[in-house]
Amino acid sequence: MRDRARGCLLGLAAGDALGAPAENLTPAEIRRRWGRLTEIEGGGTDDTEYAIFAASLLVRYGHALTSRDVAEAYRREVVPRAEVPMRGAGFSERGTVEALRRGLEPPLTGLAHQHGWSDGLAMRAAPYGIFCPGDPVEAARLVEQDGLVSASGEGIAGGRAVAAAVAAAMAGAGPRDVVQAALSVIPADSWTARNVLRACESLDRNGTDAVEALHEAVVVRHYPWTDLAPEAVALALAAFLAGDGDVEASVTFGVSLGRDADTIGAIAGAVAGAARGEAGVPARWAGAIGPVTGTCLPVVAGRHVLDTADELAEGL
Amino acid sequence: MSGDRIRGAFAGLAVGDAVGWPAGRHRSALHAPWSRRLHRELDAFAEEHRVTTLPVPFALNQPVAPLRIGPSDDAEWLAWTALTIDRPRAEAFGELTDVRARISVATALDNLAKGIEPPASGHDNPHHFDDAAAVRAVAYGAAGRDPTEDAQVTNALDGVLGARAMAAAVAEAVASGQVGRAVEAALAVLPPETAIGHNARAALSAARAAGDPFAAVPALDAEVLDHVYSYAVGAAQTVPVALALAEAAGGELARAVPAAACLAPVADSAPALTGAIAGACGGYAAIPQGWLASARTLAGCCLPELAGRDLIEIADTLTKGIA
Repeated sequence: MRDRARGCLLGLAAGDALGAPAENLTPAEIRRRWGRLTEIEGGGTDDTEYAIFAASLLVRYGHALTSRDVAEAYRREVVPRAEVPMRGAGFSERGTVEALRRGLEPPLTGLAHQHGWSDGLAMRAAPYGIFCPGDPVEAARLVEQDGLVSASGEGIAGGRAVAAAVAAAMAGAGPRDVVQAALSVIPADSWTARNVLRACESLDRNGTDAVEALHEAVVVRHYPWTDLAPEAVALALAAFLAGDGDVEASVTFGVSLGRDADTIGAIAGAVAGAARGEAGVPARWAGAIGPVTGTCLPVVAGRHVLDTADELAEGL
Repeated sequence: MSGDRIRGAFAGLAVGDAVGWPAGRHRSALHAPWSRRLHRELDAFAEEHRVTTLPVPFALNQPVAPLRIGPSDDAEWLAWTALTIDRPRAEAFGELTDVRARISVATALDNLAKGIEPPASGHDNPHHFDDAAAVRAVAYGAAGRDPTEDAQVTNALDGVLGARAMAAAVAEAVASGQVGRAVEAALAVLPPETAIGHNARAALSAARAAGDPFAAVPALDAEVLDHVYSYAVGAAQTVPVALALAEAAGGELARAVPAAACLAPVADSAPALTGAIAGACGGYAAIPQGWLASARTLAGCCLPELAGRDLIEIADTLTKGIA
């Protein structure tokens, strides 16, 4: 379990760092600049830092974690340091900080801002899956406690899907079963479920070269922000399938899709890393992952994902 | 009398639409694209040179008429709704081409074209929460009809609740002319545990404490707006502001609408929604003549085929349908 936990969070950090320069670029522009983007150029972003923060909540509260505990942790560790500029924060985190400052409590803190569907929960959902190996239902229940503070609706569904996928991968499930586990914990009548199915169908029909077809299947055209959970989760799970669970193949395919490329890479890397373990993450990528800087979340500055993974695995 | 109040709802929405500063931006869509490119370049110039003289929409080598004070997107979408109200909704939307619309509507049209039907067309939609359906719901409220089927084409959750609340408020205002009853009717369809339901009650408390619409402006800014997100058309913000200001003004359009226009972050649609409720309460006769003359003729900046149409004549077709 410790090996899978380390693989999962290393994969997450590597996907985050690899995808960062490709965020918001079109697949054509990514091909023009890199051909295939395979080498990490710089540091990771909010995905890794928020995942470390989420893991710290699990270490502290375990299965008893509630949304009130999470809100309290935000009030204590995020809100006081969220002075301008709050770098690397999405609308959902910034909106949540303002809602907490206004005295609201979850679930209203996650409902009061418009980005309830943000992929901010999905990007940090992996630790919940690590914490519940082989139990996708419990992983989904736990990540929802975190999500109720800053997300709603499809944002929570996206987090549940990723936590469940990681939980299944931690127990050695194959790629198709991992995606089934993700679908099993979200309503069939949800945007996220429909998008995951649309992405899988597109992949089956068009093969792994069909990046544009995946875009046609799930990408929203008339919206300038790309951090939509139904989109990022569907693209990340499609990348995991396209790479047949291999970390490098899944993550490089994921970041070739552009859009919220760092988050797509982080989710694909976390799920594939949980499936393949630490040795599944290319050594050159693992070597590029150092302690996080705390640029997005000062409270986690100096933490390393491998230490976080070990702490989570200790409780298993 | 209800005919006068239906006209009042339509005219009030158009006056509010015209009052908000974004109306000039929307109406400038009638000019050549290069004039808006110049506008963006002047914005960049102001930023670079640190001059506080901000550019406004202008008519260089263009007719000036589109930039005179007048209605823009919301009045046109209300008119389109009234004209198509008897048509199956997905079918009516599916026939739209070459339009400008909110993100919710643009995405819904894309969804419909891909074969994604309502309610998924409004739900699998990044702006499911916006107030496009709430604006259209003024027509449904005026006609005493349920706006849900129409709303679900483009919106979901708070976006649909906003439409139900606006239809309920306008229907009650048309029936009784009493703003207090209109607000109660809206609250009855807004569950308190939703963002729009929570905000509506918070906004009403803030405005009641302030005692007057203009006095309520800073309190509403603090209570309802978080200044985080980049679009100012969230139903959970605009509908509560409209309810609170219409009530604080005792249903008087000339007091409610200017206060809504003071809330710059929601001045795109909050004044229009405020004007629809207050206009329905006071009726057409209570709307200042000068504003009526300016606001009743549609520009065609979003729905080109409506250019030059008279909104009050369109409102009257709805009245005849009821009679």
